[in-house]
Amino acid sequence: MSMSLLSARDLRLQYGKTLVQEQISFDIEPGVIFAVMGGSGCGKSTLLKSLIGLLRPSAGQVLYTQQDYWASNEAMRNHLRADIGVLFQSAALWSSMSVLDNVMLPLEVQGSLSAAEREARALEALAWVDMAHARDRLPADLSGGMKKRVGLARAIVARPHLLFLDEPSAGLDPISSFKLDQLILDIRSRTGAAIVMVTHELPSIYALADDGIFLDADSKRPIAQGKPTTIRDTVKHPTVRAFMHRQEIEST
Amino acid sequence: MSIPYQHAFTLLGGTLLALGRGIRQGWTFRRHDFIRILADASARALLIVIVVNVLVGAIIAFVGAVQLTKFGAGIFVADLVAIAVSREMAAVITAVVMCGRTGAAFAAELAAMQTNEEIDAFSVLGLNPVDYLVLPRVLTLLLMLPLLYMFACVGGLLGGFAVSATLLDLAPSAYFERSVQALTYAHLGLGLCKSMAFGILVAQAACLYGLHAERHAAGVGQATTRAVVAGIVGVIALDAVFAVCADALRI
Repeated sequence: MSMSLLSARDLRLQYGKTLVQEQISFDIEPGVIFAVMGGSGCGKSTLLKSLIGLLRPSAGQVLYTQQDYWASNEAMRNHLRADIGVLFQSAALWSSMSVLDNVMLPLEVQGSLSAAEREARALEALAWVDMAHARDRLPADLSGGMKKRVGLARAIVARPHLLFLDEPSAGLDPISSFKLDQLILDIRSRTGAAIVMVTHELPSIYALADDGIFLDADSKRPIAQGKPTTIRDTVKHPTVRAFMHRQEIEST
Repeated sequence: MSIPYQHAFTLLGGTLLALGRGIRQGWTFRRHDFIRILADASARALLIVIVVNVLVGAIIAFVGAVQLTKFGAGIFVADLVAIAVSREMAAVITAVVMCGRTGAAFAAELAAMQTNEEIDAFSVLGLNPVDYLVLPRVLTLLLMLPLLYMFACVGGLLGGFAVSATLLDLAPSAYFERSVQALTYAHLGLGLCKSMAFGILVAQAACLYGLHAERHAAGVGQATTRAVVAGIVGVIALDAVFAVCADALRI
């Protein structure tokens, strides 16, 4: 078995004294698309925040290639973070910078490339997502789908081994959403990155994910784990069945 | 949305550390962003600062002229305007105007960035929001408020002169002579020091409320309002501290 790129060990997530989720454990292998599923408000984005270093879990470990992120010092955390890319739910493009500057900044921070190389790499990433034509535009001038694509280019420009996507197709029409799904598959095949995708879009989950975890808002813990199509076909829990089959929860 | 006072000290300490890092290792913020912020807080703010200070100088002269002429001391309006403007009013009024104008803009911009997850995106890259966002704003107001204070002094003195020349039968040369005598380095130095302190305070209040804004549209409005209120109250409170200290030091 290959070494996991990312592992969660018995994570417990809280906002102040409010418990969001607990008992979360999983391993993500290279090249796998991992879906974090669940209804609105169940803690999917909170889990993502703890995985990318924005929210310290109240218990448990986040391991990047067996290195405990939250137990590491700042220099090691910066080193570990250099190998991840994040597409935020709102795309989170820096509004005062042009599209090209947005995509170049992760490379500037890494500081290993010349200005010309950075620009070439950023334009290559923009070309992957079909946004090279918008290089000089400001984020405010872009549509929601275009922002998502630029956000994806920014996430992949430094060629990370781990990519986190927070609701990538939220707010997009079905055609744009389908195109974004194809783009995610394309990026996985080009870069070989493992992708953690937080979503409740069923078509995206079934089309993309190799593995996943289902978080339950009521019990505040995961209630299903595995390949989404397998979860859909085998798990009997009413919340999981209702979600995966897009049905109302049966009253008992 | 109340912010624990510890956050204010944490931000101030973080800003000082960021300043130290910037001086030793070079600035991490983008030069383009700094120039944009600097331009907005300087030339574009100049007109409103001068207009308000001309009016304040005129009001001081008007009140002074009405009262002092009763005692045949009309000429001392020049001293009153020069001292009041250079020592107190130019610095305080400029800081209040900049708090309502630039401080509000800083708080709104940072709060919108917080809502839009832009600050999270900086953090994920390992960029410290204090180095990248707070420091250029603090430096801007630290540099620009003393500069605007000087223009404000000129505006206030001209406003005072215009009213005095209209209400009092004074020769302009006599008025200017009294003004120059009253304008000592101590008054101007105190005004400049206050301007720098007010600049730091206004920028810190704006950044504090902007960075801790709640992540929704109303949160941007709340952060802006609170930053302006905290900035103005802070400026006046700090001015009182300066007054007591200056008196104790016999400045």
